Amino acid sequence: MEKAQRVHGKGKAVLRAYGTEVAFEEMSYTYPLKLLSPKTSASKPIAIVYAMSYGGGLVGGDHIDLEIDVGAAAGLVVLTQGSTKVFKTRPHSYRPSSLSASDLTTQALHVNVASRGSFFLLPEFVTCFKDAQYNQSQKFQFHEDSTVVVLDWITSGRLSLGEQWSFTRYRSTNEFWMSGKRVAKDVLLLDDSQSNLPPLGPRPLESRLYPYSCFATLFLFGSDVQNIVNSLNNDLANVSQFQSPSPMDLIWSLSSCGGHGTVVRLAATEAQMIRLWLRTALGPLKDVIGIDIFEKAFI
Amino acid sequence: MDLSQDEYLLLLLSDGNLPTGSFVSSSGLESFVKHGFLGLDTATKDTETPIPRLSKTDGTVNFIRDSLFTYAHTALPFVSDAHITVSRLRDEIASGPPPVELVEEVEKALLELDELYECMMLNHVARRASQAQGVALLTLYSKGFTKPSLVALPAIDTKDSTAQDTFLTLIDDMKLRIRASDTPGHLPICWGILTAALGLSLERSQYLHLFLQARSLISAAIRMNTIGPYASQQLLLHVIKPLCDSALKQTSHIRTQASAKSKNINDEERSTPYEDDDGPATTWPLGEILGARHDLLHSRIFNS
Repeated sequence: MEKAQRVHGKGKAVLRAYGTEVAFEEMSYTYPLKLLSPKTSASKPIAIVYAMSYGGGLVGGDHIDLEIDVGAAAGLVVLTQGSTKVFKTRPHSYRPSSLSASDLTTQALHVNVASRGSFFLLPEFVTCFKDAQYNQSQKFQFHEDSTVVVLDWITSGRLSLGEQWSFTRYRSTNEFWMSGKRVAKDVLLLDDSQSNLPPLGPRPLESRLYPYSCFATLFLFGSDVQNIVNSLNNDLANVSQFQSPSPMDLIWSLSSCGGHGTVVRLAATEAQMIRLWLRTALGPLKDVIGIDIFEKAFI
Repeated sequence: MDLSQDEYLLLLLSDGNLPTGSFVSSSGLESFVKHGFLGLDTATKDTETPIPRLSKTDGTVNFIRDSLFTYAHTALPFVSDAHITVSRLRDEIASGPPPVELVEEVEKALLELDELYECMMLNHVARRASQAQGVALLTLYSKGFTKPSLVALPAIDTKDSTAQDTFLTLIDDMKLRIRASDTPGHLPICWGILTAALGLSLERSQYLHLFLQARSLISAAIRMNTIGPYASQQLLLHVIKPLCDSALKQTSHIRTQASAKSKNINDEERSTPYEDDDGPATTWPLGEILGARHDLLHSRIFNS
């Protein structure tokens, strides 16, 4: 069997603050990863990086490794341009469709944030197409006085093609280390291994997650985002859930985790609802990253 | 009939009257029901609002199914590793009291497991329930499973007394640490410790843990009145068994990798890109949200 060509894209970005300015000491990337840092008008030592893949998608066998280092008092906002699409095979490829089941697409991100540094990962959602296999692994190392905000979200597939959670496997790991100690580790595994368990009837992923087609997890660490956490806690303090005849279109929860961190989980029938929710809930970030950058994050 | 020690332990540990505190926990079922998810099915997806169509019993079965699988994927690796860790002491005891270094090593490994489980349990309601039930299991060993001193019961032999002393010391020490908030004392770790101390095999410890989790969901469903007491027996015989069997098949081999040191994931020398590709994982994110919303319920009969 012909082995699919494996593509291993690597990238590295090292950001340092000089007074109210920031500069990248290093910025490198290889195919199919691309890093772009547009100039910002911010009056703070803060920069944006767009992490993109050529063609706007990843295919079976693609590996992306990105390493980011944010220096003391520097701030970095990492965004994507559009959603991350994970295909089973490269579209319009001449390659024979002889991909083996092990043709996993992987993305790894390793972020180091120095003391008083801040890091914001606010990408568009990931969409795994039918039969895709995706493994994302992200690790964040920071300090007690750093600020870290990480958004990780996934939709159910190409709605226009009627895809509802019809990928093969999705695994996402987010690990947080504060001052050398692991404070939170979240691993989400979505696959259809439980769908057929004779003698019981089928229970596909779509049924398990019904009626939702988008799930998001938001992690918040640091005193700069404490006002966001307080405001969310206030919202929940006012909730008194009576017996509901049917599920809400958007549902969310909040739990505190180690290292004074907070994890927020959301589910909604449409991704757009989560986007709007985030835009409102994370509104106070405008004061931290500046309104221009904030607007870019939630178009 | 001749019951082996292992089989007899199964009878004792599966007793619904064991004081483990599981009766105050619904593992998210109460929240699931109150939020309108019971009986929901994709068959209604063409209607404007999703309306529950399935019977309460079918809805309960679906909840148990989704809940049990995510529990097996997250908790069972910790049961396995805690059991394997404590069993190292049992193997050593066969040839006399275990060396102090080994006892310390075992205890350190258990604390690492407990710490990792706490890090991975990002739902405060489930965290609370897990801690309450964990410490109850340790108390169960020291108060409920040590040999009583009775006139009718001759003194235990040296080997048995070495084993009991070793495990009692280990378990009492864990309890002290839990009380001092040094370590959370989560249910899967404590279950692994208890069953290994009693000498129950790993396979049976794993199976029993999943069975008890499923049965506690069934008990919660009876209290919530989503199934009746007779239906619950039908489910235990015809549904819970295949569920436990397949959940076990999928998760019994998974380990926590708690003792694996932090590696730089960009390390060139790594053999596989994702060291924890098969580690513990949540498989039902909706269950996480609903479970964590338990405290928002207007009225509730369970603590979790």
